[in-house]
Amino acid sequence: MVNVTANEMNRQEKPINMSPFAIARRKFLRNKLAMVSSFFLLSVIIISVLAPYITTQDITKVNISQMSLEPGGEHVLGTDKSGRDVFTRLLYGGRISLLVGVTCTFLVILFGTIVGSIAGFYGGFVDGLLMRFTDFVLNFPFLVFVIVLNTILFGIVNGLWVLIGVISLLSWGGVARIVRSKILAEKENEYILAAISIGCKPSKVIMKHLLPNVLSTIIVQATVTFATLIVAESALGFLGFGVPQSIPSWGNMLSASQEADVLRDKPWIWMPPAIILTITILSINFIGEGLKDAFNPKSNR
Amino acid sequence: MNKIETKKGSIQKKGTDKETLLDIQNLKTYYPVKGGFLKRTIAHVKAVDDLSFQIKKGETLGLVGESGCGKSTTGRTILRLLKPTDGKILFGGKDITNISGSELRRARQDFQMVFQDPYASLNPTQSVGDIVSEPLKNFKKMSKKELKEEVLDLLSRVGLPPEAYHKYGHEFSGGQRQRIGIARALALKPKLIIADEPVSALDVSVQSQVLNLLKELQGEFDLTYLFIAHDLSVVKHMSDRIGVMYLGNLVEIATNESLYAEPLHPYTQALISAIPETDPKKRKNRIVLQGDVPSPQNPPSGCPFHTRCPMAKEECSKIKPALKEVKPGHHVACILY
Repeated sequence: MVNVTANEMNRQEKPINMSPFAIARRKFLRNKLAMVSSFFLLSVIIISVLAPYITTQDITKVNISQMSLEPGGEHVLGTDKSGRDVFTRLLYGGRISLLVGVTCTFLVILFGTIVGSIAGFYGGFVDGLLMRFTDFVLNFPFLVFVIVLNTILFGIVNGLWVLIGVISLLSWGGVARIVRSKILAEKENEYILAAISIGCKPSKVIMKHLLPNVLSTIIVQATVTFATLIVAESALGFLGFGVPQSIPSWGNMLSASQEADVLRDKPWIWMPPAIILTITILSINFIGEGLKDAFNPKSNR
Repeated sequence: MNKIETKKGSIQKKGTDKETLLDIQNLKTYYPVKGGFLKRTIAHVKAVDDLSFQIKKGETLGLVGESGCGKSTTGRTILRLLKPTDGKILFGGKDITNISGSELRRARQDFQMVFQDPYASLNPTQSVGDIVSEPLKNFKKMSKKELKEEVLDLLSRVGLPPEAYHKYGHEFSGGQRQRIGIARALALKPKLIIADEPVSALDVSVQSQVLNLLKELQGEFDLTYLFIAHDLSVVKHMSDRIGVMYLGNLVEIATNESLYAEPLHPYTQALISAIPETDPKKRKNRIVLQGDVPSPQNPPSGCPFHTRCPMAKEECSKIKPALKEVKPGHHVACILY
């Protein structure tokens, strides 16, 4: 109780009428590391989206006369073993990696939240059923399943969307579990009873009362998922089971380093995607960390 | 809605001077205890065990008892926030024991609750305006302007400034937050309000303000209260009649004056003897109960109180006494009477 009154006094000094989200936003904007990371991530996204306006090189055209050129001159970051411009492929690769990351994250969070909140709110039989299904999905051997499905469906559907579908289908389990546990804790609060007693439908109780209060967890979880899925896409690309080679992505650009001479002697071919991938993942994680701090009422950084 | 209800009420009113608003008959709420292989139900916590009472329109029934005796469970079961295991809840003559879905939601307009914890009972992501207008949005077709006027009116009735409209719960003190909760409960102009220890989480200085507000509103809105508390002086201040609960059972129910002047049940006598006296010179006989409250999972046989009763006889462990009218309006469940 003493803590509560102390907090209240602190809050009274701030400008009035701040919703918890407004407070979190203020805290986030003050977090330097998170702000630098957001700026970096935003630039990567903008540059990737604007790729066609930045470089006019063809991403797929093989040019035998310009194989494995060192950086400099016409090709800022050199060319790869097929004579394709690394800089151009890096920009277009960013489009694919980020597209896969964003779309998968969206689908994973959407599905995980729906399953988790329904399981958590209703409990009992519904909870048991949905959670056993979640366990089933979580226990699926991810890599093997992706490779098999990708191989079967390749050619029938566009390779990129197969990948997005398969990754999303297998990755929502963790989110569902976390959302469920948060909902379970949150629904014990009396305001949920109050919402029921003033005549809110179950869907409204979940949408208006439960989800806004677990949103902070979901947002933080989304950033973590985003980073993980970009890595997953790259890993699959590296193994050659990601998006088709005709479409550049950071992952399948990295797969060039499987060859020893490229890894040893031609770092300009695989270093750029590796570096940009690492920094992107790092900045996403810093943003996630910053959001976690911002939503935590106990942190006062 | 209101018009229809009053019509129904007037038909029922015949003969009696005050109609019964809430009629609880043999209400039981058991919580299953799960365990063992495949989470079977292995036992029941008998939180509310065979409770019967009536509340008349416009009166305040206080419900007292120590922690864990089933007071809050009773309140929540009557509001159908919990499913009763057995028994009947008649509200304004209508059986609401087994209704569900949209029928239950519609019925909820007539009975609302004021919650115990002013910190947990307001959604932290909603502004006060949203909190108080939500019940109206659920049931009434109102324009934005009408809605805001109605909310501002409610806020002023519970003693909050109009500036509160755009603020969030965390910007208020406990007493003010409880006022917001009261405004939310009042928004639908309910007939019955169940106040579940509405002041036990508040400072003593604020308690009386909130209690007086509840009393004022009772006159203004023609409310009936079921007032749940563990503080006997608070209940005495608020109630017309008082029910004493022990281990899920109602052991005594009587008018305010009658109960305090002459408590009959040994448990009530012990409770009343424990009220602190403002005059330190006044000597009194404090009845100190021995032992702990038995587990509601495995209540004692016969009279639930016999394990701690200073006047227990042998047959107390065999016969479970029913509520008996000993004096006009004074019921007690004890074999001594």
